Amino acid sequence: MAGGVTAMPPRPQKLAVLVTPYLWLAPALALVVAVSFWPLGYALVQSLHRSDYLDLGTFVGASNYQRFLLSEAGIARAWNSLVLVAGTLAIALPMGFGLAMLLNLPIKGRGVLRTLLILPWLVSNTVAALLWAWLLNGQYGPIADAVAQIGFVMPNMTTSSTLAMPALILCNAWGAYPLVLVFTLSALQTVPKETYEAAMVDGAERWQRFIRITVPLVRNTTLVTLVLTTLHCFNGVTIVLIMTGGGPLDATDVMALRVFEEGFKLHRMGIATAGAVVIFAINVLFTVAYMRVLKNEHSA
Amino acid sequence: MTRKRRPLGALTPLESGAAYGLLALALVFALAPIFWGLSTSLKAPLDIHRTPPSWLPPTATTVNYAKAVFDARFGRYLVNTFFVMSASFALSMALALHAAWATVRFSFSGREGLMLLMWATIMIPGIAVVVPLYMAAVDLGIYDTLWALVIVYSAWLVPTLVWLLRGFIAAIPIELEESARIDGCSRIGAFWRVTMPLLRPGLLAAGVLVFVMIWNEFLIGYSLTLSDENRMIQVGIYYFMTETGVEYGPLTAAAIASILPIALLYALLQRAFIQGLTGGAVKG
Repeated sequence: MAGGVTAMPPRPQKLAVLVTPYLWLAPALALVVAVSFWPLGYALVQSLHRSDYLDLGTFVGASNYQRFLLSEAGIARAWNSLVLVAGTLAIALPMGFGLAMLLNLPIKGRGVLRTLLILPWLVSNTVAALLWAWLLNGQYGPIADAVAQIGFVMPNMTTSSTLAMPALILCNAWGAYPLVLVFTLSALQTVPKETYEAAMVDGAERWQRFIRITVPLVRNTTLVTLVLTTLHCFNGVTIVLIMTGGGPLDATDVMALRVFEEGFKLHRMGIATAGAVVIFAINVLFTVAYMRVLKNEHSA
Repeated sequence: MTRKRRPLGALTPLESGAAYGLLALALVFALAPIFWGLSTSLKAPLDIHRTPPSWLPPTATTVNYAKAVFDARFGRYLVNTFFVMSASFALSMALALHAAWATVRFSFSGREGLMLLMWATIMIPGIAVVVPLYMAAVDLGIYDTLWALVIVYSAWLVPTLVWLLRGFIAAIPIELEESARIDGCSRIGAFWRVTMPLLRPGLLAAGVLVFVMIWNEFLIGYSLTLSDENRMIQVGIYYFMTETGVEYGPLTAAAIASILPIALLYALLQRAFIQGLTGGAVKG
């Protein structure tokens, strides 16, 4: 925009004019602070106290944090969260990235394929969990039946202590890869054709063009999708709640679900809010680390 | 050499065969759960639990859809969802429009800091605030009301809407507002009368955002309501599933039907959406 003039030119201002912008910004800010920052502050206070249902109990220091994070169950829970996120990323990232590369090739039916492959993205977590639980159902599901046809018995995945986590990973990855696909595809489409053509004229092989041109140009986009997918999966309650409920025997007990259960099933608000603070801290750490990396990329 | 006859960068038959093979595999993964749900929703009650299970309904029927979609409770969930959407749209737009206008048309001290404060909330996950929000809703006496949902959803939407609307407002020349002021409008009056009517394309984008976010939301809808009459669509489906003696026919019918509005919206707006993403990438 020429000159970039979007703000009113400076002129002698009266007090009424000086406060005008604050006045119109204030209601939006007030609502956002009340619904997002106030609960965080409250969680911080409550997490240091025992809870008496909705009332603040006695001060207990860090013991709620200890119970949420450092107890034996707490460590197992952190590990489960890590496995869930890592497993989801291990499927969703290569799959989304690979499909974006394929859909960027000059092949017929690209538009239809793209629309169909993005479909899981539009499905809510509630419905995704429901559909996967039904698909993997050990009694009436088609997959259990197919496994039985070749002579194996597949237990009900969502109630098996070894297969419940893979079932959650499948469902999470199913919902997550389309975001990687869409972002990567739009990044790929910004790479000018001429760049590739010039490289081809210079005799660069396909894999060389991939390493030298494609990867550097979409690296930031991939990083963004990595962060979005990680946080969405780490913070997600719905899929775990519906498919396994953290079971069997806490085999899929993850941090986000635990906060939900402590708060709404057990009404131990002290532990629930301690968990909420821990989850928020992990979100901030992750986002800051990622912004660091992005900044370094730009200055490099 | 065959390489020379093909246009630069075109695929060999082997390469395109491999590409289609991989895409077909991905397509099976992408569509299997949806297809299995769709197939179940079209089966007669007796066929649903028949072994071996069949991918296609032996006889297709729409009884499950009639049962689910015309179920009185689902009508209620739909009404609730649309009410919460409309109210959240009205509230969040009223706040975001003015906030966006104030930060685009004025430069004032603390502007960047206050916007950053607002946008930082996008980083706060629902699970980190849901327990205190529940406690506050009980204290304020709005627990188990749709208004509690309207307030939380609006607060979550405002930062994104401000970001979106700033672009639309900045694109409208300030001279329009200035000439209205010469004609005797106040600053805010000039915004209301001159700029707001020109923001209609922004309204559509904002509306889609509000619709998709609220239609698919579960955590807050579940945590801040209790009674059946205050359930949102996703929460209704959840309870449908956890009830004892769940019938998979109507359940999958409801689930499949709930995907339709979003899929339709996406199909209509796909081009604009993908271009929007690409446009953003070019500018960045």
